[in-house]
Amino acid sequence: MKYMIMMFGGVGEAIADRSPEWITGFHELMMKLDNELRESGELVDSQKLMDPSRARTVRVVDGAPVPTDGPFAEVKESLAGYWIIEATEERAIALTAQVVGYSGYPMEVRRIMDEPPQM
Amino acid sequence: MSTPARIEDLLRECAPPVLAALVRRYGQFDACEDALQEALLAAYRQWPDHGVPDHPRAWLRAVADRALVDAWRADSARRRREALVALDPTAQTQTGDDTLTLLFLCCHPALSPPSQLALTLRAVGGLTTAQIAAGFLVPEATIAKRISRAKERIRAAGARFEQPPQLDERLAVVRHVLYLMFNEGYSSSAGPTLQRVDLTNEAIRLARLLHRLLPGDTETAGLLALMLLTDARRAARTDTNGSIVPLAEQDRTRWDALRIAEGRALLTRTLGTGPVGQCQVQAAIAALHDEAPTAEQTDWPQILALYHVLTQVAPGPMVTLSRAVALAMVHGPAAGLAQIGTLEPADRAALGHRLDAVRAHLLEQAGDIDEARAAYLRAARSTASEPEQRYLGLKAARLAPAHE
Repeated sequence: MKYMIMMFGGVGEAIADRSPEWITGFHELMMKLDNELRESGELVDSQKLMDPSRARTVRVVDGAPVPTDGPFAEVKESLAGYWIIEATEERAIALTAQVVGYSGYPMEVRRIMDEPPQM
Repeated sequence: MSTPARIEDLLRECAPPVLAALVRRYGQFDACEDALQEALLAAYRQWPDHGVPDHPRAWLRAVADRALVDAWRADSARRRREALVALDPTAQTQTGDDTLTLLFLCCHPALSPPSQLALTLRAVGGLTTAQIAAGFLVPEATIAKRISRAKERIRAAGARFEQPPQLDERLAVVRHVLYLMFNEGYSSSAGPTLQRVDLTNEAIRLARLLHRLLPGDTETAGLLALMLLTDARRAARTDTNGSIVPLAEQDRTRWDALRIAEGRALLTRTLGTGPVGQCQVQAAIAALHDEAPTAEQTDWPQILALYHVLTQVAPGPMVTLSRAVALAMVHGPAAGLAQIGTLEPADRAALGHRLDAVRAHLLEQAGDIDEARAAYLRAARSTASEPEQRYLGLKAARLAPAHE
């Protein structure tokens, strides 16, 4: 089964009030987990997105789609990056817990719709 | 012994001349490129077990010829007649010129830069689609599609296998493509790792090739020198965590002395023998950085003088920004900040996070900590490079009042 593990928020929010040691420690943890996932062959994909403040949102205005500056959700609720891993839900949650345990920010684990039709 | 690595080197050396010969004979770049790929695959399969043939180029040529004939046989008779019309048995040119013509074709102005890069890497660099995909961190299918679309476009543009009439103009495009390739590998504008060694090495290899074909072209020599003098610092640019180490803090004993010596020698031979171009000036600036035993001993007045020349030869927002750094080093941060202040809004937008990053450094030097911190954070928010974001974020964090 494939799971997407999502992180939220922007750079400013994540590091504005953190010490350099905290930032370095967080990076080291992420690198360690990333390497672990690569080595074990569980990693399907992983990407980090540019800061949500750089996002543009396209909305219908007066009947026509118009791009506006800024993310769709609040910055702290915007997708910041994700892992997609091939693993059990238990493993996905254990992995996510390691990151949340360090950062304190909530993260989301979602199953990917990867099953063939059975009817 | 024919180890896989040796076979790969040999194949990559043979690929461009064989492709050039095929295109010269049959005139259809796309079909010939497909045929060569088939021949290369056959070589990869057979040579490790059966040994390398006595005449590897002739072997590849024969297999590719056969693949072309098979393809045309399967195709319509009309296309076959077209191929026969394109056939010109009188054409006889040296291999070197053919490789150059191939470069011009791959860097055709009708193609987008990503397509130019991909096609050049495959047709002239001899890389496989999978290797190119790994270099750009995209799926193999994406590169395959990019290459096939590029070949279609070249055909649609009516490009022929001959040296273009506007040689200087087209040569500038080729140099630009090689520079982009180098930069893509060196600073890795997107993605988790700061440097992707393969693309950098490929760009240097191809610049060497171009320089060998056109030894008298001073800007090509300048480009190669610039690449060597910049790449010399590669090992010192990142620490064990993959984090950026800025020039002033790099361990200079880890710089590659051989590359520096080669780049400097090339530059010395070149300067003054032809028109001064931006590559030569940028290489001269890189050489001054490389020659300084410590960051403090850097000859900033001379670097500033060279940026003045560069402003005349090839003005642009990036040059103005770099000159602001040199100005600050010679005359203090206020002079640098004043120079940045002269940038037009459009230039500011084009510079993006680089502008904020330089402003932040100068503000920090000037002692304006709050503004510096805000500028570092702005820069961190607008970069698309992870290592850069971390570097800028750390800079901001170190200036935060709460952590003094």
